[in-house]
Amino acid sequence: MAAWYDEIGKFLGSEAGAGSLAGLGLLLAQQGYKDIGDIGSQAYREMSGPDGLAQELRGMLEFQPYTVTTATGGQFGMQQDPTTGQMAYQMQMSPEEQAIQQQLLSQAQQMYGQAAMPTADREQEVFQRMMTAMSPEQERERLALEQRLAAQGRLGTQTAQFGGTPEGLTLAKAQEEARNTAMLNAMQFAGQEQMQQAQLGQGMLSGSYIPQAQLIAGLQPGMTGAEQRRASLSEQAKTYGETYATGLEALLQAGLGQAGIAGGFGTQLAGSALGGLFKKEP
Amino acid sequence: MAQELKSINLVAPAFKGINTEDSPLAQDPSFAEVADNAVIDKRGRIAARKGHSVITTNKTALGSGTIRAIKEFDRSVGSNVILSVGNNKIFTGTTTLTDATPGGYTITADNWKIVNFNDKAYLFQASQAPLVYDGSSVVRLDSVAGAAGVVQGNEVLSAFGRLWVTGVSSNPSVVYWSDLLIGHDYSGGTSGSIDISKVWPDGYDEIVALAAHNGLLIIFGKHSIITYSGAEAPATMALADTVAGVGCVDRDTVQYTGTDVLFLAHTGLKSFGRTVQEKSLPISSLSGNITKDIIGALQAENTFFRSVYSPEEGFYLLTFVGQNITYCFDVRGTLENGSYRVTRWLSTGFSSYTREENGDLLIGTINGISQYTGYEDNGATYRFKYYSPSLTFGDSSRIKILKKLKPTLVGANNAAVFIKWAYDFKGTYATAEFTVGDQITGYYSDSEYTTVEFTGGALTNQRSLNTTGYGTSVVVGLEADIKGSQLSLQEINVMALIGKLL
Repeated sequence: MAAWYDEIGKFLGSEAGAGSLAGLGLLLAQQGYKDIGDIGSQAYREMSGPDGLAQELRGMLEFQPYTVTTATGGQFGMQQDPTTGQMAYQMQMSPEEQAIQQQLLSQAQQMYGQAAMPTADREQEVFQRMMTAMSPEQERERLALEQRLAAQGRLGTQTAQFGGTPEGLTLAKAQEEARNTAMLNAMQFAGQEQMQQAQLGQGMLSGSYIPQAQLIAGLQPGMTGAEQRRASLSEQAKTYGETYATGLEALLQAGLGQAGIAGGFGTQLAGSALGGLFKKEP
Repeated sequence: MAQELKSINLVAPAFKGINTEDSPLAQDPSFAEVADNAVIDKRGRIAARKGHSVITTNKTALGSGTIRAIKEFDRSVGSNVILSVGNNKIFTGTTTLTDATPGGYTITADNWKIVNFNDKAYLFQASQAPLVYDGSSVVRLDSVAGAAGVVQGNEVLSAFGRLWVTGVSSNPSVVYWSDLLIGHDYSGGTSGSIDISKVWPDGYDEIVALAAHNGLLIIFGKHSIITYSGAEAPATMALADTVAGVGCVDRDTVQYTGTDVLFLAHTGLKSFGRTVQEKSLPISSLSGNITKDIIGALQAENTFFRSVYSPEEGFYLLTFVGQNITYCFDVRGTLENGSYRVTRWLSTGFSSYTREENGDLLIGTINGISQYTGYEDNGATYRFKYYSPSLTFGDSSRIKILKKLKPTLVGANNAAVFIKWAYDFKGTYATAEFTVGDQITGYYSDSEYTTVEFTGGALTNQRSLNTTGYGTSVVVGLEADIKGSQLSLQEINVMALIGKLL
């Protein structure tokens, strides 16, 4: 029995059928092309579009404000300005730490101030204290000499060679040497004291930053926890994105396959139809 | 029955000098009540002093003035020069007094102290710029090259290699010393000064004189004495001793006797005789037999004191120039009471002295410069006097009737001698006069065919003089005008009858 498909075959073997087939093939190819473009648009929309994966991931990876509080009451907080988006962090020590810091800073300033002062007045002050300490003994020595000279009847002695008596000159020289030594020692002491004040100032200045440094040091564990959380979120977003992208990619690959099949079939069909139509009869 | 004639022999009468301190009745006849123009001679007898022979022949520069100070300038090269002062001038020379006063330099007083020091002579007196004589001219000390800090002191001492000056009117308790061997520098080198106003034992005094003896610097105050040891280095010299209550009257009474330092204190002549032995200053009194007389003399003196020590003559002369009195202390030994034997020279006109290096004693007078020599005072006679203390012959209750006086004199050639006696402290003396003959010493072989007798040296003369009167105590005296010959009183033999009890 000649079946309907024989009829179809015959029709297709005709020129009209061939033309129809070619047209159909071209339509299929066009449809395949169009589908591929749609798939690209969808991929773009799904990945980078306003509600796409990128937007979603951005939201997932957005900064999370946090605050770290140390055991001594110091706090470190980090947040983003909702308007400007500018990041800001705040560090605040406890009142006790602030008081210590203020005190140390004040003292450091005082020490630096003293260290920067001219030493002349201090030298004189130290010298006077040294002379005050030495003066009783010097007075005893002077009185002893005076008594000795009086006993020897020499109190009124004046000489061109010694000024007074040789003993008087010796004592005066000794006292003057002691005075000079005291003066030099006072100068040396004042210099050392100035250096010591500078060192103390430096130490106090350094000490004044210890609460802050300790606050920063105390932030480390908190910051580590926050970083871990941020890393976890990042990993989560990454995984989400990768999964999303994988599914989307599979979808797109399927669409691309379909479009390719349709396009190939249409192209072949059109080629075959057009080939039979334009074949010369022997 | 005739009474026995009692003989009392006054052997070497007055060989202990004058004694006006003890009671005349209780006195040893060896003392004298008066011994004027006398000395104790080499035999221990009282004798007439020597006279003075004026050397100066040209005293034009002196004018009517008197030589107030004499000093022999000893220099290492060339002849020594005699420096003298008077009539507000400085003189050199002896026969002719050459005015050496610096030109333009006005002298207002003649109380100079002159010392030799390091080949120069230095002249100091109060309130007058010091002068220096280097053998050629006298110049102001402050005009000498290198002179510095020269002070106008009244006393100067050359000792321990320096000049020591004191008696500055504005600083009466300060002693200044010059640089070593530099007499014109008082403010450089090792010069200096010491104010002893806080050292005086009585709290206050003023320096009068300085002396150096036995390694000590002796500072005489008016009524204190201070001695310093170690004055060779004045800056470290130390007080050695102080004496309160005894001082020096005048710087010109201080004399060195080699082993002692004599000075006139307000209570008489003193010395440091025992200082060296006892290391302290128990001042011995050397004028203990005439204490009141000498105190009276020094209180009455208003001109100058002058003194000299002559080892050749063995005496220390102390002259009260204003009163024209000189006390002659025999320094050859002391009496039992520690006093020197002393005689008195009156109206000599001696106004200054110095002993030359050769031992000659030069005397300043109104006639210029004299030498202590011979037995005439510039050609004039002078009277030797001796009066015994009151003699009681061992019993003051009985009357003594002098019968004879037999003096034995040594020398006294051609001298008119007056023997005097008085009774019972009356000042009226009976006198017997005799003249010692012309006693020319004749020596065997030399004088064999001349008219002189052969003698053994100085002639002695014994006379026996009848006396009159009576009394319980007797004073015997002898006076003689000395004119060219020495006179010593060997002894006086008093022949007396001891009468009844009164």
